[in-house]
Amino acid sequence: MKLSTRLLNLLTAIGCFAIAGVSIAYFLINEKFEWIPESALELVREKELVERPDAKRCSECHKDIYEAWKDSRHSISWTSKTFIEASENRTKEKCLACHIPESVTGEKPSPRLDRRDEGIYCVSCHFVNGKMNGPYDLVAPPHPTHRNPDYVNSKFCGSCHQKTFKEWKETGVDDTCQNCHMPRTKSRLTQKLPLSLLHKKKWVGNHKFLHGDITEKDILIEAEFKERFFNFSLLNKTVPHGVPTADNGDPRLYLYITFLNAAEEQIDQAKWILAPQQETALPFNKKMEFRYRLFDPVAQANIVLKYQPAWSKEKDMVWEKTFRP
Amino acid sequence: MHIIRILSLLIAITTIVGQPVQAKDMVIKEPPKSLAKFYPPLSEQPKWTQQMHKLSTHFGGVFINLKEKDFENVDKHADKLVEEYKKTSEMVPEWEEYFDIKAAEAFAAAAKTHDMAKAGKASGGLGKTCGKCHAEHQVAVWTKYHWPSFHKIKVIDPASEKEVDFHKFMKQISGSFKAMRVNFGEGQYGRAAKALRAFKSEYMELKSTCSKCHTTDDVKRFYVGGDASKAFEGLTKELNAEKPNPGNFWKNVGLVGKTGCKNCHLTHRTSSMIKEVWEEK
Repeated sequence: MKLSTRLLNLLTAIGCFAIAGVSIAYFLINEKFEWIPESALELVREKELVERPDAKRCSECHKDIYEAWKDSRHSISWTSKTFIEASENRTKEKCLACHIPESVTGEKPSPRLDRRDEGIYCVSCHFVNGKMNGPYDLVAPPHPTHRNPDYVNSKFCGSCHQKTFKEWKETGVDDTCQNCHMPRTKSRLTQKLPLSLLHKKKWVGNHKFLHGDITEKDILIEAEFKERFFNFSLLNKTVPHGVPTADNGDPRLYLYITFLNAAEEQIDQAKWILAPQQETALPFNKKMEFRYRLFDPVAQANIVLKYQPAWSKEKDMVWEKTFRP
Repeated sequence: MHIIRILSLLIAITTIVGQPVQAKDMVIKEPPKSLAKFYPPLSEQPKWTQQMHKLSTHFGGVFINLKEKDFENVDKHADKLVEEYKKTSEMVPEWEEYFDIKAAEAFAAAAKTHDMAKAGKASGGLGKTCGKCHAEHQVAVWTKYHWPSFHKIKVIDPASEKEVDFHKFMKQISGSFKAMRVNFGEGQYGRAAKALRAFKSEYMELKSTCSKCHTTDDVKRFYVGGDASKAFEGLTKELNAEKPNPGNFWKNVGLVGKTGCKNCHLTHRTSSMIKEVWEEK
């Protein structure tokens, strides 16, 4: 046999062994990781990963999740200007538990002493009782991850978002916090090669913790002029908690009404502030009635609804409507 | 000058509530500036209060353990008391003279004889040093560091949607409340209705602002809860009526004043007025 043929056969054999090895590893890691002896796993474990690593360390493998989190309000829960001002330079003790939680477990957490600048970070939610936790049981060679069904339940978010959780619970809606604020896509948990190739794609939640836009479909209005009154109702049709909602923040909906006479001159104006801290936020699927007494004949009412998040001084337009008698 | 104003204020307050001035005149002097670094916002923790707790714990620990005849812990608490007492004496230089290290050491020595009577007798000298400082400064320290500084609080004016100074806002809300009453009294119901809307929206803004500190539902119910909401509903109903009923109107005015204004003012105004005088400097 020629040397080149022998070399080719050798390479083919090595290739086959490699493919078989990767396939076996893939199968074991994703399907039967309990077959892998713990002693073998110990060789590839990175112990510092189960000693409360910083977010940057987690990003070495979980790049996509890290980048989404970095873009989230959670990542700046300790450093945001709004928080620093509202907490009087972070001295209000009651704010600390949820802005720098040690460990989120479904109950109100305790504040931590280390890595405060990272706010609500990987370890806050995923490192519980000395173990890495998540929605899946994973062998994940560098560190094991233990499945905890709480990660896909609203109660987990309710550890800190207690009032919102209570509002949601009262609606009886099945969609969880995670369904709307952490929509899942099928992707890999790690982006680090070659480890990423050994991991099967899974449903991974968006760690940007999306804050949905409020639109015309969400807040419905009905209005009528009747005798000396302008009556109208607002209905939060789609969002299964108060709109807006917050435990201690101050997000608001501003509703402005301008009343015009037949000559299209402004003769009166009114304003309503719908905010959780004023207990005037719009509950889910419950029509809220408003009544405004008119002292002069009105030909038209122009209504504008704007939304201001807790962390912003800017208002976004939600919708604009006109009503005539 | 400020001391005179504070004294006058206290006399006025006691006169209003019908209490005679007690045997001892009280002077509330602003605590020294060096104390500020032991309280938020300069310190993350209320370190001065924590230090007081340490002293109190070790002082009490001596007697608790003497009673239990746990002499090992008596000695530990006596030593720690002297250590913390010395440390405390150095924290606020302006108050150094209140401390008597020898009295603390004498107490520790007496405690270490494990004789309750001797420890009790020696505690008097040490206790006096604490008592003198507390008598002269405790009210002032509580006022300055344990009550909110309203001048630092900003409220969103619902009309302009801009943050305004708390005291300015209180004048504004008081003006709206007054405008509603005056206009109603004059039969100007349209103007009264407008003033009520302004008053209510300002009142609701205070609710938002107060909720930044008052985070529990119980306290919110007490200050700005159902009673005040019902009173506002009653006022709105009267001003929406073709012929408002003055009896119902004034009854609800009284309720808003009692549940919405008085409860908060009784709790916060005294300390706020004292702080205002200090902060005018």
